[in-house]
Amino acid sequence: MIAQGSASTEETVRAVLRDVLGLSDERAAAFDDSTLLFGALPELDSMAVAGVLTEMEDRLGILIEDDDIDGDTMETFGSLVRFASAKAPA
Amino acid sequence: MIDRYDWPGGSEALWRFGPAAGPVVLLLLPPFEEANRTRTFAVGLLRALAARDIGAMLPDLPGQGDSLLPTEAVTLADWRSAVAALAAATDRPVITAAIRAGALLDQDAAVAGRWHLAPQSGARLLRELTRIGIDRRADIAEVGGNRLSTTLLDELETATPVTMQPLRTVRLGTDPGPADLRLDAAPLWRRSEPGDDPALANVLADDLAAWSRACAGW
Repeated sequence: MIAQGSASTEETVRAVLRDVLGLSDERAAAFDDSTLLFGALPELDSMAVAGVLTEMEDRLGILIEDDDIDGDTMETFGSLVRFASAKAPA
Repeated sequence: MIDRYDWPGGSEALWRFGPAAGPVVLLLLPPFEEANRTRTFAVGLLRALAARDIGAMLPDLPGQGDSLLPTEAVTLADWRSAVAALAAATDRPVITAAIRAGALLDQDAAVAGRWHLAPQSGARLLRELTRIGIDRRADIAEVGGNRLSTTLLDELETATPVTMQPLRTVRLGTDPGPADLRLDAAPLWRRSEPGDDPALANVLADDLAAWSRACAGW
């Protein structure tokens, strides 16, 4: 399996983070593969994590079980996009 | 103006907006956390409706807001009965405007029309609540800081938004569900810090005012 997210999945994840965390377009647009998320973004608390996961489910039409999530899933923007791409139908 | 309304289980607070004649919009916020995230926006929407000469009512639901009833005592049937009682006590054409899981609450109300913004099923609401954390004990479950009766959780499991006509459904562009109108905006109900979107409120007020007039023939 190719571990790269498709452009549309990446843009959907970017938009979800922007909308749930209330980030400016500029800030969200600057996210790249290595941008640190959990622990680095003060807006991303446990309640916001739940919102991000549920909104990703709604927009990508996927199901995310809590067991699927580990400490690395939300470490960087790149790791979250790869996680979403692996879940989303090609 | 702050008023009250009676329902079979007691009496709750009610905020009134706009003119005292003509069709009146009964706004139903989603329960729990999303109510806090959408209240400012909803009040802006109702003020914008008043500016378009359409009156509105924003009720506290039993067990929510300033209600004296403990949240753990409330059931979905109570919420539906409160909405039906308020509609029945209103001597004007009523149009319900429900946000998210508020769309689960107007099924028993005799109304001239319904308008749903990003309606959410009970199953999806439960999924969000359980993701925040659920702790089920005997008859009470603690979910995301709310103490809820297992009756309410069981009712939510199978509850779906009302589809009785006339119904108009509005969704955001990011929401793949069926819609009569689709708008590009951020979902305020997801925002971890409550926000507002007055531009969206104005666009929705135009739509809801036209729909209310059409339903009421006014």
